[in-house]
Amino acid sequence: MPLPLRPLRISHVGLRGIVGQGLTAAHVIDFACAFGTFLEEPGRVVVGRDPRASSQMLYEGVVAGLLACGHDVINLGVVSTPVIQHAIRWLEARGGVSIGASHNTAEWNALKFFGSKGIYLNTAQASELLDIYHLRKFRLAAWDQLGRLSEEPGALDYYISQLAAVYDFERLRDFRVVIDCCNGTSSILLRELQRRYGFDWILINEKLEGRRFAHDPATTAEMVALQLAPLVKPLRAHAGFLFDVDSDRVALATEQGEALSEELVLPLLTDFLLERNPGRLVITNLSTTALVQEIAQKYGAQVLRVPVGRQAAIDALTSYPPEQVAVAGEGTGAVMMPQFRFIYDGIASMLGILTMMQERGRLLGEIVASYPKYYMIKGQFPLVPAAVPRLLMELQERYADGQQNTQDGLRVDWPGRWFHVRVSQTEPVLRVICEQRDEPPAELFRQLSEQVRRLMS
Amino acid sequence: MRVHKLKIGVSGIRGEVGEFLTPALACAFAQAFATYTGPGRVVVGRDTRPSGPMLEHAVACGLLAGGCDVVLVGVYPTPTIQIYVASTDACGGLAITASHNPAEYNALKLFNRQGLFFNTYERSELLDLYHQSAFRHVSNAEIGHVETDTDRPFHLHLGRILPHIDSNRIRNRRYRVAVDAVNGAASLWSPRFLEALGCEVAAIHVDPDRPFPRLPEPKPEALDQLRRTVIEQKCAVGFAQDPDADRLAVVDETGQVLDGDDVLALVVDTVLQRQRGNVVVNLSTSSAIDDVARRYGCRVLRAPVGEANVVQLMQATQAVIGGEGSNGGVIYPSVHLCRDSFTGMALILDRMAASDLPLSELARQLPRYFRRAGAVEFEHERLGELLQRLPERFRATAIDRSDGIKLILSDGWIHVRPSNTEPVLRFALEAREPQRSEELYGEVLELLSSSGG
Repeated sequence: MPLPLRPLRISHVGLRGIVGQGLTAAHVIDFACAFGTFLEEPGRVVVGRDPRASSQMLYEGVVAGLLACGHDVINLGVVSTPVIQHAIRWLEARGGVSIGASHNTAEWNALKFFGSKGIYLNTAQASELLDIYHLRKFRLAAWDQLGRLSEEPGALDYYISQLAAVYDFERLRDFRVVIDCCNGTSSILLRELQRRYGFDWILINEKLEGRRFAHDPATTAEMVALQLAPLVKPLRAHAGFLFDVDSDRVALATEQGEALSEELVLPLLTDFLLERNPGRLVITNLSTTALVQEIAQKYGAQVLRVPVGRQAAIDALTSYPPEQVAVAGEGTGAVMMPQFRFIYDGIASMLGILTMMQERGRLLGEIVASYPKYYMIKGQFPLVPAAVPRLLMELQERYADGQQNTQDGLRVDWPGRWFHVRVSQTEPVLRVICEQRDEPPAELFRQLSEQVRRLMS
Repeated sequence: MRVHKLKIGVSGIRGEVGEFLTPALACAFAQAFATYTGPGRVVVGRDTRPSGPMLEHAVACGLLAGGCDVVLVGVYPTPTIQIYVASTDACGGLAITASHNPAEYNALKLFNRQGLFFNTYERSELLDLYHQSAFRHVSNAEIGHVETDTDRPFHLHLGRILPHIDSNRIRNRRYRVAVDAVNGAASLWSPRFLEALGCEVAAIHVDPDRPFPRLPEPKPEALDQLRRTVIEQKCAVGFAQDPDADRLAVVDETGQVLDGDDVLALVVDTVLQRQRGNVVVNLSTSSAIDDVARRYGCRVLRAPVGEANVVQLMQATQAVIGGEGSNGGVIYPSVHLCRDSFTGMALILDRMAASDLPLSELARQLPRYFRRAGAVEFEHERLGELLQRLPERFRATAIDRSDGIKLILSDGWIHVRPSNTEPVLRFALEAREPQRSEELYGEVLELLSSSGG
């Protein structure tokens, strides 16, 4: 029997669920107390949230838990996740919490935890946090040692100063850009940038919404095609960008009004960043397009492929000196750059792509047209956990002629063609991804689907 | 009966903050509260304890998760929060305060949509919801808002009191008044309140950011600084409050702390002069109240000790005034059916202004009784035996067993009851003559100590 969708997920990436149905106030308080205990010595903790109505409830619980553990809480209010991450270093905080479910629909919410460098907890840290949560033996401060709450309105300024240190805003002013904010926090930032630098940006779905977003806030080509892409040509814009609710991810539309695959964000930024620093390492996951590899080869760079999920990427990053890494990211439009201390940041990604357009004197569609064309087919199948090992073994035997990687399910590579079969970390499904150069891998996908269906029933 | 640092019962949730009263408990209790009240606005206020903000966030979290909107009023006296609930369209309220308990404790006081303490039945219903974790969990579509309203509560409270006193008469007297707010919830409001009555205020302990400088309960032994202030500044009266400003103690112009029962008797007299009706006090309150009420042909009814009990009986008998002498409680339903130090201050000042007599003289004119009170530790299993021995030892004309045992003697009374919160038997007694009072005190103490030990 296939499993139902779980409305609550507690894992190494934190706490995520449908509010009320799975995610409750008790989970929030306990997780905040666990994080407060995990951070040990009382210090400052930075907290920010997205505009979801439920984020206020989560915020109250997070503040209560952190204060109870003796930490001083610095509230940034409704802000983008990258702003929180930058503020952690700026304020010399012990850590931070981002409240919001990012690219998930409005009924979801989540807590994401950061350490003192503003980076997501690595697997060892996250395991410890989970252990503390499950044990529920929190280090609560005595009544006269509780923390204090304060507000910090300057975090946005600091974040903008970080962007301004890397990008030359003056040179980006000639672009007319349409931006779909998905009713999320990107609009706060974009409006401020626009006010200061006079950008010719047209924002849609700009109003912060708590209960209903204009559309599913996923950074996918499908969502770009919905409202954003059709506006680009009529408005004579040079590109279109779409952000998820907390703007750690971005998706793209060309000057021709074409919705680009979310897979193209990383290759574009790889191209942009390797051109400046050829030979540096590119870190991505096993499900990401082979185009990344092709671009990396052009600059003599290696691609390190890790299991899917934020956690594996964070762990991989800790094993390399930052100056050896050019970029890290996934095919979801979530990309981290060393200039921004490896923070997933959709806004920084957008500015990188605009800078590349400016430097090369070519628009987005023209740059993408210069790349070899890859076709990707993705599918998902209801999960029968017990059948997974057998399926993977059969696939390994059947596709023995390819280069195999078994770090996360099975990925098999042939020249110009690959597939990846893996179990999702967020939903009870088995994901199948195939990609092929020059033409869709329809036959390979059909074969895989047939085999999966046979074993997963 | 041992004392534990956390108590969850029909009186709510109370404990030492840290390992005992945790944010998780406060949040769950608030969510049970939201489940009980149903959707609507819930008012949340607090006293000045350092744990107040932490608990306020935990409570807001639970209320939102349970489908209520939250109105944060900030640091306010418990009676002000109650009046604010009653004056707005709120469906309930929570005061985060451990009242007169030490600073390390905190607690939640619960109010219904009329701004009244939950009665016994409401409380046990809420407790069942809490224990069953049978909470309402709302989705993002239904989740409410948090709003703040920090200035209006004071004006609502003041506006409720003013029509019941002759404030011009008080203003014309230009009283110099000392007040000790124990750095509690009244710190910001008592000086403003007294100034609104034209008083010149000598305020001490009115810094809400500092710890309680004395015993939080305004017992006579804790009020030395206020007494000195009254004398040095030549004040007509001194007022002392507890951290959530429901309790009041009064110091006369000579620096003497008035007996709580005398304060209540003065207030009862003041109210009955213009409004006849039933009076409700607790079983340990002085017979002076009966003598005062008799002058106006009014009836005195007695409830078990505890504000909630007194309020419940006042409501049932439509009493015009009531309170608990020993707990510094004045309850004047025309303002609101709650223990309120502000109403107490206003009525005392009104009485002073009307009579033009010094407070010590007003107190001297009250019926004179001699009271003693005390407490002894006891073994819980021996409670029944102890309570049986009392009527054997003392000849009573009447016995009331509604709260421990109260013996009405021909020349006084004795009331013995087990505390609800500590392993002690509390006793109070009263007689017309001072020697008789001392005699009774010695006998009761001996009897309780010898067999309870």
